Amino acid sequence: MLVQPSERDVTIRLVVNDRAHQFDVDAGETLLGALRERLGLTGPKEACYEGECGACTVLVDGGPVASCILAAGSMSGRAVRTVEGLARAAELTTLQQAFVRHAAVQCGYCTPGVLMVLTALLDEVPDPCESDIRRALAGNICRCTGYQQIVEAALDAAASVQP
Amino acid sequence: MQFCRVRSVAEAVDELSRWGTEGRILAGGTDVMPQYLRGEQSPAALIDISGIDGLQGISEVGGVTSIGALVTMRRLATASLVQLRYPALAQAAALVGAWQTQTVATLGGNICSAAATADTLPALLVADAQLMLVSKSGRRRVSLEELLEGPGVTALRPTELLRAVEVEPLGERGAEGYVKVSRRSAMDLAVVGLALRLSVTPSGVISGVRIALCGGARAAHRVPTAESLLLGSQLSGDIDVFGAVGEELARAVGPAVSPEAHYRRRVLRGLFDRLARRCTAQIPGASG
Amino acid sequence: MSVLGTSPERSDADAKLRGQAIFGADLSRTGMLWAALARSPVAAGRIRAIDPAPALRGDGVLEVLTSADVPDWRTGVIVSDTPLLAAGSVAYEGEPVAIVVAESRTAAEAGARAVALDIETAEPVSTPEQALEPGARLVHPDWNRFAVAGGEDIGRNGNVVAEVVHDPGDLDEAFAAADIVVEGTYRTPRQYQAHLEPKMALATYESGRFTIEVSHQYPFRLRDRVAQITGVAPSAVRVVGHHIGGGFGAKLDVSLEAFVALLARRFRRPVRMQHTALEERLVAPCRANAIVAVRSAVRRDGTILATDVEIVSDSGAYANNGPALSSIPMFVFGSIYRVGTARIRTRNVYTNTAPTGAYRGVNGPWLVFANERHMDAIADALGRDRRDFRLASLARDGDLMRNGQPLTEASILREAFDRVDELAPWRDIVSRNQAQRGIVSRNQAQRDAGARTSQPAESDADVLRGAGQAAAIWLTNPMPGHATVKLNEDGTATVITSATENGSGAVATGLRQIAAETLGLAADAVTITMPDTDATGYDAGSQGSRTTHVVGRAIADAAADVRTQVLDRASRMLEAAPEDLVITDGVVTVAGVPAASLTLGAVAQAATWSDGPITAGASYVTPTPPHDPACATGMLIKGWPTPTYHLHQAEVSVDTVTGRVTVDRYVVCQEVGRAIHPDAIAGQIQGGVAQGLGFALSERVDLDHGRYVQRTFKAHGLPLAEDVPKVEMIVMEHADPAGPYGAKGAAEPPIVPVAAAVANAVSDAIGVPFDTLPITPEAVLEALEAEPNGETVARAAREPVVNRDGEQERETTGRAS
Repeated sequence: MLVQPSERDVTIRLVVNDRAHQFDVDAGETLLGALRERLGLTGPKEACYEGECGACTVLVDGGPVASCILAAGSMSGRAVRTVEGLARAAELTTLQQAFVRHAAVQCGYCTPGVLMVLTALLDEVPDPCESDIRRALAGNICRCTGYQQIVEAALDAAASVQP
Repeated sequence: MQFCRVRSVAEAVDELSRWGTEGRILAGGTDVMPQYLRGEQSPAALIDISGIDGLQGISEVGGVTSIGALVTMRRLATASLVQLRYPALAQAAALVGAWQTQTVATLGGNICSAAATADTLPALLVADAQLMLVSKSGRRRVSLEELLEGPGVTALRPTELLRAVEVEPLGERGAEGYVKVSRRSAMDLAVVGLALRLSVTPSGVISGVRIALCGGARAAHRVPTAESLLLGSQLSGDIDVFGAVGEELARAVGPAVSPEAHYRRRVLRGLFDRLARRCTAQIPGASG
Repeated sequence: MSVLGTSPERSDADAKLRGQAIFGADLSRTGMLWAALARSPVAAGRIRAIDPAPALRGDGVLEVLTSADVPDWRTGVIVSDTPLLAAGSVAYEGEPVAIVVAESRTAAEAGARAVALDIETAEPVSTPEQALEPGARLVHPDWNRFAVAGGEDIGRNGNVVAEVVHDPGDLDEAFAAADIVVEGTYRTPRQYQAHLEPKMALATYESGRFTIEVSHQYPFRLRDRVAQITGVAPSAVRVVGHHIGGGFGAKLDVSLEAFVALLARRFRRPVRMQHTALEERLVAPCRANAIVAVRSAVRRDGTILATDVEIVSDSGAYANNGPALSSIPMFVFGSIYRVGTARIRTRNVYTNTAPTGAYRGVNGPWLVFANERHMDAIADALGRDRRDFRLASLARDGDLMRNGQPLTEASILREAFDRVDELAPWRDIVSRNQAQRGIVSRNQAQRDAGARTSQPAESDADVLRGAGQAAAIWLTNPMPGHATVKLNEDGTATVITSATENGSGAVATGLRQIAAETLGLAADAVTITMPDTDATGYDAGSQGSRTTHVVGRAIADAAADVRTQVLDRASRMLEAAPEDLVITDGVVTVAGVPAASLTLGAVAQAATWSDGPITAGASYVTPTPPHDPACATGMLIKGWPTPTYHLHQAEVSVDTVTGRVTVDRYVVCQEVGRAIHPDAIAGQIQGGVAQGLGFALSERVDLDHGRYVQRTFKAHGLPLAEDVPKVEMIVMEHADPAGPYGAKGAAEPPIVPVAAAVANAVSDAIGVPFDTLPITPEAVLEALEAEPNGETVARAAREPVVNRDGEQERETTGRAS
């Protein structure tokens, strides 16, 4: 269901994690399918295929989207960031480090999507309160953690970048 | 299936007239893509209008606000103009799905899908929304009330494109709001969505009232019988009229044919009171 | 310094945070084929014909297989009742009927949709009640031909898959002596695991052996089940485990693995399968739906003289592990509270629905729901405070469980009641909630009187508050584990085991800490392998909180052996007696002589090139506790090993306008033996409570004529970040002498008491018993409305009445007779 059969290809130009790509996608192909199967980026996860769980979340022009229900063909000219594009080098981002400290990772399948949403939140609201964080996470289901350690990690990350 | 990426309104209406009922407009795609992926829809063409700049933007001309069809839920929820002049719309947009949905879901999509549960529609109805439609044969303007014919059914012609929505701002001594009842804190469709806009005279008489509902068996709709109960009431002394309005709304959603319909009726009784109190508390001197 | 009780970084955190961790669903092999299943669209029927032609016309489709092309024997974990592909008839919607092999995933899935199935639909046996009706259609007319593992008599009969009966024969006498009889029937729906990673499998076949790559909780069971289905020796199957994107019990048995194995052998190419979104919903082995009827004979002084329990649980179309789970009621009724003499009958029955299975806590959440709702009902019937009544009824040290097993640490539960009360005093909560009910009832009365008020209602004038408690004693799964510990030549250690990391951190940190503690290393100096059934001893998988306890014990023993070898070698190198040596932070030192030291690396190097590398292996199985083998018929689980103790207390508010229930405060007191990694335990408690809240309030799994109503992820109503409160936790430690450093299991049980505590709290808030889950807003408004004159809100009928003598008058509820 990731890539539906189709008759026509569309050529798209996409900047993914600061690298420019140009490639063909099928008419009904999802952004998630394109990222995973054409670019080999398996960080964004396949899960519900319905835009309901958030495991496939990536940032498009800075905004979080459910890439499993986004048409790849409509993405031409956009800038996409995936979980692979967060930590630039050996060092994890402040947010990722906070996830380690707060044991906010369990099975880890929701983690890439959760990180993308919280990255967008911290970009927009550098000092979010707990309810901002919980609201921002409304589209990300985590069946393992019950969310608390994720929320605490996000609060801690916000505090660590505050002057 | 063919993917048609159009760059202008002119190109879009060309493609629409070419494909007719075989084409589906793709804006945010939050309805279209899941339906396609589940195999419920197999259009011959997806007409991608997301790149048309002319359908973006919120502008104000002569006291009327025009919202482009591609304006996203996130933009509606966060734009200060919308929050200030159309708070019910901002509140409704913030309750559509989650952030991931709001990033891409468009106002035009919410209107044209005309789902019975579409959160923005009651908010638009209380703002007397007028729709600017365009096709190869010309332009026309219809009110949202006229456009909505049933759940998922609109008076939109297959060759027509929704360009923009014009809404009437909230007056000086007015208040409005949107409340939604759904199963969880977010993500779920409205079991009941209720929008209210009130205007009040300096002496505290309700001089204007619009009430609209979504979530029932019908498309979003206004409830004139409930509105008329409230019109002319004195705000400071007559609060218990809210209970009567709630009862009327419960009647207006139709017979309790299912447990869900039964629940909707029960909720509406108290829900209107809650929303009305929230609104009147915002009107200076009105809450006594 | 000890690494136990600290919370070091998990070994998989970095890879998971970077998106580098490769889960099963990310796996790919050059040249691999894809396969997909055509599944029955109906709940019951006879297969008239299967036409593969439309599928074969698809681009890239190589072959379509039906039951005629695969092994035709039935298999199962306990009852061999499950065919690989349906032959002749179908027994549930979603049952595999044909398999399509193709060059791509798209082609395989399109092919599966295209297979033309001609099925003559039959009226399904939709519910357990229907299955038990006299003359009900048999789900499997040939049930008597199915073999049972070990030849055990599990009480099968027609649609009854298994029956467990415990009957001491003295109930009638006890009921005759009762002052009151309290009855209740407690109904719970299925619960869907909703792990995010879809089920998948990848197989290769080389030189006569299968390799199955998978994200699975129990690789050794998979090895044995694939062997059973394909008809090869277990040693001809190698299972390699990868990161698991959640399982919660759903990934404990075979699903797609046998198909990919057979196809890999047939095509001599790697074959991959993965569930589609719809398949995930249709064939998940949900927690079984159940009906528990409880009847108690009670004396006025609160003594429960006898308890009669009648349970029916839904197995679905095949037995799966239902027969074993049918023993569990024996460990719930009478283990927590003294319930007098008890008759307990459990029947697990076939229906034409998707087979149910293991979900975290298995039958526990609904058994404890019944037990604790019933305790509230008795307390109400007696006019007793619910907490006081629980305390008076608690089992004592030395009491016997219904299987004859002595409760050696029952007093831990009493301690839990004290500890919770220190944090959230029950009496304060009860009186505050009563005061709040007064506000609501005044507000209601004003409205009813048509009072005109311009005041906005008090902010919480339409909120009712309630509190509830629920206790549980849960087991630690005893099944076997093995580990090899090797000291590397650089002074680090590697633990080799097939224990699976299912998210809890038991493997990624807990087991590493245990090895590190024994060897005198930092936690990050210990690495641990991913499962590989070729390379390790048997392991019974990630289930029942067993990993830390069972595998941890094996590791502690193996590491102690390694330590002995190290000290032996070092004593010769340092010319000191082994008992004079200490190991700290990877350095062996002669006690009191800091200069006389060697790194573990130096010791390992020396050992490797003289006596040989330092390694050791150890195994562990928890012994079955003493019990009475004749206590019941049909019991497959004989004892309740390594029990842990749990008390949950929920405070809720109920919005009387919308019927929505909000959990305002949630306290868990949990006994864990020894907390190895406190942050991981906190994550298990918080996560378990979240799943339990979903079961209690928002999650839906409904069946309509045997078919699931909810077919999308959204429809299941899983709790979101805003729906789950921060759980307050008290972790108690009563070291288990058999556990590694005293540790018992901790991960599974936090889900067990949740629905019970929440239902008790909601029932308390409204004054109407909620004995059916989930507690939906619809049900709440219905209950509020059903009470005449809003008396529910006033709750006049529910408060104990105090008469002139100052003695509480007993009032009887509608359910007391």
